[in-house]
Amino acid sequence: MKLTKDEIKFIDDYLIKNEVKFWDVRLELLDHIVSAVEDKITNDGTSFNEALLEIHKSFGNQFIEFGVSKTEVLTKGLYQSNIGFKKFTRNKQKEIGRKNRKRYWIILKDTLMSVSFFLEYIILILLVLASYQYKPKTALLITLVALVIPELLKFKYVFKKGVRHSLNANMVGLLNSSFLCFQGLILDFYKEEFTFNGVVDYRYIICFYLLVYPLTRASFNLYKEVLNTVKARYKLLIS
Amino acid sequence: MSNSKLYKGSLNTIILKLLNEHDKMYGYEITQKVKALTKGELNITEGALYPALHKLEAEGLLDVEVAKVDNRLRKYYKLTETGTKETVSKLQELAEYIKTMQALVNPKLA
Repeated sequence: MKLTKDEIKFIDDYLIKNEVKFWDVRLELLDHIVSAVEDKITNDGTSFNEALLEIHKSFGNQFIEFGVSKTEVLTKGLYQSNIGFKKFTRNKQKEIGRKNRKRYWIILKDTLMSVSFFLEYIILILLVLASYQYKPKTALLITLVALVIPELLKFKYVFKKGVRHSLNANMVGLLNSSFLCFQGLILDFYKEEFTFNGVVDYRYIICFYLLVYPLTRASFNLYKEVLNTVKARYKLLIS
Repeated sequence: MSNSKLYKGSLNTIILKLLNEHDKMYGYEITQKVKALTKGELNITEGALYPALHKLEAEGLLDVEVAKVDNRLRKYYKLTETGTKETVSKLQELAEYIKTMQALVNPKLA
């Protein structure tokens, strides 16, 4: 027996109530639960509620949440314990992180091999070298702008519908932020090496930024790739 | 996964083998297929299946395809090129394991 639209909506709400807030995590759980409930109703003759309770348990959730006050249990509703769903989300988060890191190195390799990036990089280096002859500060500003542009372009995706509540989008954003923090930390750590008699030698900072430019560019390409997939899936979801 | 701890180590191989025989499969379909093939002897729980699927996906052995089915999205898993190669080696590994165990448990049959 196929579940009605309302029953599917009920299961989706039940997942939201159980704090599965990311829609891209919920979609897999929803399909599994709906398929299992339909199967149990058809083959075992169980009721919708019985089937849902059984599946709730099979994900490793319990019916009793220890250490939670009765008032909180009542406000949370029928399915108090969501330990199984929490574990599911945590595990997925870990694996997405691993997948993104693996994909990042492949994209970096592809970026370095691409002709368009090679030309872009050469133009940037020439521009920086030329401006350094006149004013070193301008050269530094150009490298900084080149690094910031991909970051600004990310805003194009951030405010898109479905991106904020996607685990995939959140994870790739996190990878990018940690990458930027890491760059800042390296620069901060070697700050004294770049300073001579109280004067900052821009050459080292410019060289550092030029070296990390391909890495930033690859991280942006990964971000774009993941966000495009997220967008396409969300479009399918709301269609 | 219920029944026995012995099956746990072979879960990835079971998934890869099933996906090698079918073009693409979704999570619930995998659990039901295993149940049917083993006549209910082996029951893969959701708590064991999905971490394994997500791990195989992260390792690049599985690819994901999303399609709309009956008012909801369904995530299909299929083998990548690396996944197909890995299936062959995993099955070989499993066959050797069974052979070794046979020699230990029942030397007459080995």
